[in-house]
Parts: sequence; structure tokens; C-alpha cells
Amino acid sequence: MATPAPNPTRAQVPPLGTERPVVWPRRFRRTLANGLEVALVETRTIPKFTADLYIRSGNAVATLPGLAQMTATVARTGTSRRTSHQIEDALRGWGADLSISAGADTTSVAFAGLAEFARPLLDLVYEIVREASFSAEEFERERRQKIEGLRIDRTTPEFLAAERLRKVLFGAHSYADYAPTEQQVEAYSREALIAYYRENYAPANALLVGVGDFSADVMWKEIEGAFGDWKGAPPERAAEPEPPKSHGRHVYFVHLPGAVQTQIVVANMAITRRHPDWMRLALANNLFGGAFNSRLVRNIREEKGYTYSPRSSVHALRQHGFFSVSAAVRNDVVAAALTEIFYELDRIRALPVGEEELADTRSYMSGVFSLGLGTQDGIAGQLGGVLLDGLPEEYLEKYRERVRALQPSDVLEAARRYFDSPNAQIIVVGDGEAVAGQAALFGEMEKFDAQGNSI
Amino acid sequence: MAKLNIPVESRTLTNGLRVVVSPDHTAPLVTVGVYYKIGFRLEPRGRSGFAHLFEHMMFQGSENAGKMEHIKLINSSGGVLNGTTHYDLTNYFEAVPSNALERVLWLEADRMRALKVDDENLRNQRDVVKEEVRVNVLNQPYGGFPWLDLPPVAFRNWANAHNFYGDFADLDAATLADVRAFFKTYYVPSNAALVIVGDVEPEEAFDLAKRQFEDISGGAQPATTDVNELPQTEERRGIVEEKFGTLPAVAIGYRAPARHTPEWYATALLDYALHAGRAGRFYRRLVQEQKLAVEVSGDTGDLIELNGPCQIVTHVFYKPEVTDSQILAAYDAVVEDARKNGIANPELEQIKVKFRSDFFSTLESGRGGFPRFGLLHYLACFTLFDGNPGLINTILERFMSVTAEQVRSVAEKYVVPAQRAIVFRLPAGRKAA
Repeated sequence: MATPAPNPTRAQVPPLGTERPVVWPRRFRRTLANGLEVALVETRTIPKFTADLYIRSGNAVATLPGLAQMTATVARTGTSRRTSHQIEDALRGWGADLSISAGADTTSVAFAGLAEFARPLLDLVYEIVREASFSAEEFERERRQKIEGLRIDRTTPEFLAAERLRKVLFGAHSYADYAPTEQQVEAYSREALIAYYRENYAPANALLVGVGDFSADVMWKEIEGAFGDWKGAPPERAAEPEPPKSHGRHVYFVHLPGAVQTQIVVANMAITRRHPDWMRLALANNLFGGAFNSRLVRNIREEKGYTYSPRSSVHALRQHGFFSVSAAVRNDVVAAALTEIFYELDRIRALPVGEEELADTRSYMSGVFSLGLGTQDGIAGQLGGVLLDGLPEEYLEKYRERVRALQPSDVLEAARRYFDSPNAQIIVVGDGEAVAGQAALFGEMEKFDAQGNSI
Repeated sequence: MAKLNIPVESRTLTNGLRVVVSPDHTAPLVTVGVYYKIGFRLEPRGRSGFAHLFEHMMFQGSENAGKMEHIKLINSSGGVLNGTTHYDLTNYFEAVPSNALERVLWLEADRMRALKVDDENLRNQRDVVKEEVRVNVLNQPYGGFPWLDLPPVAFRNWANAHNFYGDFADLDAATLADVRAFFKTYYVPSNAALVIVGDVEPEEAFDLAKRQFEDISGGAQPATTDVNELPQTEERRGIVEEKFGTLPAVAIGYRAPARHTPEWYATALLDYALHAGRAGRFYRRLVQEQKLAVEVSGDTGDLIELNGPCQIVTHVFYKPEVTDSQILAAYDAVVEDARKNGIANPELEQIKVKFRSDFFSTLESGRGGFPRFGLLHYLACFTLFDGNPGLINTILERFMSVTAEQVRSVAEKYVVPAQRAIVFRLPAGRKAA
């Protein structure tokens, strides 16, 4: 910091009290005869329950980019037994919420409601994943809305940066498609949606996580009753090409005329959550820029005031993962911000971290991991994430001790392997006339317009 | 069904600080909030955006915890923290393992007692806040729509009508003397509430609060600012140019009734009928049936946290080929129906079930971030604005006992053209029609 901050009078900072044990609630796990995996947790914090039905297929296996998302969107608008209005009225009358969306790897039906209406809500979810009607009218309406939404997305700096980043990192791999083009959405057909739905919405391809105010035995019977008749084999998976290897830094500039701020992303390929290096990478990321109290935030926000929300993240998709550093900065400090980002990347790759900084980050990680314990949503999120990634459920219990075992050498190794500063890909979204010259200082530069065309 | 039994205990310290505790031992976590009864509605004239800029300054160092020390001590205790500025309050909150409770209280007390900031901190955070405004408003499609667009059209009292995020010239004009004066006026114990939710026994929490906070000098409660609006007698309109986005949009807001009047409760249910999700009347009519709009949503804001004039607002993104008068006519047809026929059963009964269910979810709120933040937030608002945190257990019944006739009457009386403000947000080049 430019002005060194005085240390607090240490004697006055109250020490931490005795740690109370962190106990993850017991999980009830069973699989239906049709292959649907079920994981349940009883917790009676409020008279509700929350659940996620995960289907292990997403946009990466669809015939067109975003088609899994469109399938999910339309599936919710009607079944063989209910119109869209009837679905929405029923949900409201049960005090329920339901949303359905598809990412690259997974389609999620998230639903929650009053415990007293659990069974009718389960029955409705079954209808949506099994008997969706895909009405032509709803499909056409949703398709038009999607196109209008995409037009707005392509004026949004974060979207443009994410879209370009995926293309750069993943090349011919389907993860390269962050969103469809308008032409691709025009090419969707009702038949293609139905074909995707029939192939992928199968019980042996699904996981149901439920958390809330119920008895697991009773809930299990309700789930058996609601989903027992669901049939279908898991889909076959085609092999995917490997993402390209990066050689040297490159700059990809997306021109957004009139932008009064510049979105920067610096990224490289990394690993999935199943990789043995995951914990040390997660720690290195938190120390670097994942927490408020991290090097990146201290530097470019709290010392220099370049940006409001700098952040580094590790993104784990099913087949591949990547690391990214992002910041929206004012136009006159694009080069300065990139310089500091690379300074911090090179520093963490070159020099071992001190014991105190490491201890602080370990405590942060182990504490924050447990914050979800207090709520139904929090437990559902953590448990769902672990099971979906194919990790053993003991991951929840072992997480804290694994974090606490990490050493300075772990941070150094992870940073050298996965913060690939020499081969980083740099995405810059901004007004070309104002800032492209600054971006070009950091590598060979290609320029694009907001529609993705080279310019 | 609407009876709740959430344990709540409260005390007032000798310096006027109100302390509220709701114990729950489900998990070894506590969520702590310090709420000050000062929001952007009350910031000084010529200093738009100051309440929010000041909120940033509260993280820049206090007497015994220098810049970044506060943040470091929370993160390294295994916790997270944030602060936010609202119309009528500013809050600072943390979620930590329960063994860090005393440390959190020490940090909050330290900055309530004595802020220690300098010009460099102020310059730094002014820069950070400008980037916040750019990332959330100036460099985003529909940034600030409608929350910054509507108030200047709807209201005449500067308190309600100005730019809450701040004009950059006003942010630049802010001085360290302003920071000190604002702190001295509003950040006094008697203008604040401390709420602790989670794994602690009330007596232990009160002892800790007393030890950390009671020696902070009291200070007078700040004078009340007049935030009242004169009655509105004709429709008000405005147009804002949309720089990036491709769709025309419109926001329509009506004055809402005063806090805790029977009409206020009925307004919340009317809002649900009109706006709640895909079952809401506007979504159903404008998006699904007539296909004029791409997206419709709306709300009253969080009524519990509003302590002055507020609005029930609808915002519509409509198709480029639809004219502005077409969309308004379609909107008005929905409104007219509600005014004439009210919201009858079974719709009202469905809405009540959803309202009750959402109330429970609000109490838990958040995927792990700040467990039970919603409960803490409501307890703080009921304490600061109503002097009664116990409302947490009784207020749901008030919403549940609203009748169809009350909803109809509130629609008839409040949802009228003479009391509304309309702001169009139109892409550059589109002519208003």
C-alpha cells in the first residue's frame, strides 16, 4: 500500500474462541431401480424443502449450441397434462419455485416449496422431465425471446468477454460455445428439442438432491412413487477433440463502441475438481484473487483504485477446467491494470508465500466452506456440487483437514502449473479507439466486433 | 399456519445502541449486522452518492484496525463480510464461525467508536466507487433502469428524487470534512442497531455487546429529515436514452401507501398478483398471451426496509416493432381489470400460500453466503423503523389476513394514472411513439 497501514494493537484483537465442531448432516442415499440416484438430508430450519434434479447432459452434447438450454426452457411451458398457465398456478398454490436451465455439462431442475406440498411438486417435476409437450406456440415465443436476449447480451461487456474467452481456450471442443448465434437459434427445431429431450432426460443419467423439512424415509417413498415409472438408458457420449495448447501471450480485443470502462480477462487452461491438485489450486486462487483479502484486490482496488470488482476464479467443467483473472477498469489504466495482474501472477509463481498469509487463507477457505451448513439451500448446494462432480461424499467432512494440511510449496507448485502467465490469453472488451493501443502492448492482437467477426 | 415462533431477545445499551439476538444452534455459525438509520435518501444536498461513498470509507480503517486489517481479520477467521447502502439504512454484516463472534463485535465497535481515514483513502475509494457506477450503470445495457431513472421523474423532494449512486462531480466534491461530519451525525450508537443471529446464547451475546460497545459515547439522535412528498395530481413522464441495449423498455411506478397501514399490507399482495414470476398477471398477459413484451417484472422494493415514500413499479422490455403507446395500452388493460375486479379467489389464496412460503425463504436467504441474513435484515429494520423486533413473529399474519376487498380498494385508490410516473428507456435512434 502506498501508505503503510498501522497494525492493530494486537493485544486488543480478541482471540478466536474454542472452535465448535462442524458436523455435516447425515445423508440418505439410495438409487431407484431405474437408475435415478437420490441423496436426501433432513433439516428443519424452515417448513420447506429445496431440491435439485440434475440431468448429466448439457449444451456440450447438443446438436447446436444452446439447444439444451432451449429444450429446458420449453420443457417448463407445458406437459401432456398441464398448460403453462396451469403449471404456474399450481406452483404458486403450493408456495413453490421451479427453474430449469442447462449449462455446458448439466441440466438442472431446481425446485423448492412448502413441505406439505412435496408430493404434488415431485409429480409436476416428473411430468416436466418425462412428458413435456413442446408446444409449437411456446417454442416459437421462447425462441424469439432468446434472440432478443442475445442481442442485448452482445452489448454486455462480461458476456462478450466470456464468449470470446471460451472460443480462445477451447477451439474445436464444444466448450468453446458459450452461447449460440442468432442464426443457430433460428436453426433450432421443435423436433431437435424433442430428440435431445428423449435421449438425455433419462433416470440413469440423473441425480436428485433434496434437503429440508421431511423424514428421509417418507420422502424416499414419495420420490419412488413420483419417479418410479421413469424409463430410459443413459446417452452415449462421443469423444471430444482436445483443446488447443497455447504458446505465448495473445490479446483478443472485442470492440464495444462507446464503452466507458474496459473489461479485462486473463486466463489459461487448468484442471477439473477431480484432479489431485484441485485443493492446492483452490488455495492458490483464494490467496491470489479469490477472496476480498487477496493480493489482486489489495493491489488493483485498495491501493490503486483501478477497479471495483477484481476477481480470480477457478472454473471446473466436467472434462476441463480453466483459471481466470477479471477486472472492469477505467479506460486510462488498461495497460497499468494488466501490468499489475502479470506482476502478481509472476510474483506468486516465483516466490514462496509467508506463513501468515498462508494460514489466513487456509482459515478463510475452511470457514467459508462450512457457511452453507446453516441453511437448506447451502447444504443442497454443497452436497449437489460434490455428487455431481463424482467426488466421494466424505469430501464434505475431509475438506477442512485437507485445507489445513496445505503448505507454502503447494501454493508455489499450483501457481507454477496453473497460473500460466507466459502463455496467458488476454481478452479485452472496450472501445477500440480509446483503449486498443494499450491492450496491444501485451501480445499479438486480434480484433473482433460484438458479433464475433474479425475486424 | 402463519404463526411463527422465532426466538428474539433485545436490549438497549446505556448509549442507546439497540441489541437484538436470535439464537439458533443448527450450525456453529453466526451472522452479525450493524445497521445505521441513514441511507441515500438522507444524504446532504450537493453530495449525491455520499451515503454510499461513506459506506466504502467504513472499510478504510478505524482506530485500532488499519486499512485492510478489518477485512483480513474477518476473512482469516473463516468469514465473509460486506456493506450495502439503501434508501433509509446502511448496513455492515459478517458471517463467521461462531468462535469469531467477539472478534467481529470488536471490529464493528472499533469503527463505530472512531473512524480513522485520510485523504488518500478518500481518493482511492472515490475511484473505486466510480468504477462501481460504471460497471453497474454507465457501461451496462439498461444500467440503472429503473431504479435510478424513475425517482427523478416520480418525486419532487430532493431526498427522494436525486441520483443515489452519485453524480461524479458531487463525488469529486466530497471532502474528508464531509466524511467526519457525516460520521459524527449519523454513526452514533443511538442511531444504530446490532443484530446477532445464530450459534450464541442471548445472555452471552448481550455480555459481549456490552463489553465491546457500551463505552462508545452516545451522541444525540440525528434530526429527522423531511422526506415527504406532496400529493401527486397528474401523471409524470420522462425519457432516457439507452446507449447499448436493443429493446425499448418502460417503467411505470405508482405511489405506495404508508408503512404499516392496512393498505400497505394489501399492496404487497397486489404486487404479487401483478408481478410474482410467470404466474404474475403482467407476464402472463404481455409476454405469454399477447407476445408484445420479451420480459416483464416488477415489485415494491423490499417494503420492510423502506421507511419513506416508495412505489409499486413494473418494468417491461418490449419488442422493437411494438409501439410505446401499444405497450402502455396493453399494460393499462391489465391494471384496469385489477382496479375494477380486484384479485379474487382462488388467485388470492394461491398468492397467500406463495407469499408465506417466500417469507420463510427470505428468513434463510442465500446459498451459503450469509446464512439467515434475511432474518437478521428484517430484525434490524423492525428495530430501527418500528422499535419492535418482535414483529418478525407477527407480521406474516397481517399479510395473510388481507381481504380481496382490501386488494381491490388499494388498486382502485393507488394504481391510478394521476399518481404514476412513466419512464421510457429507448435505444438511440428510436422515436417515442
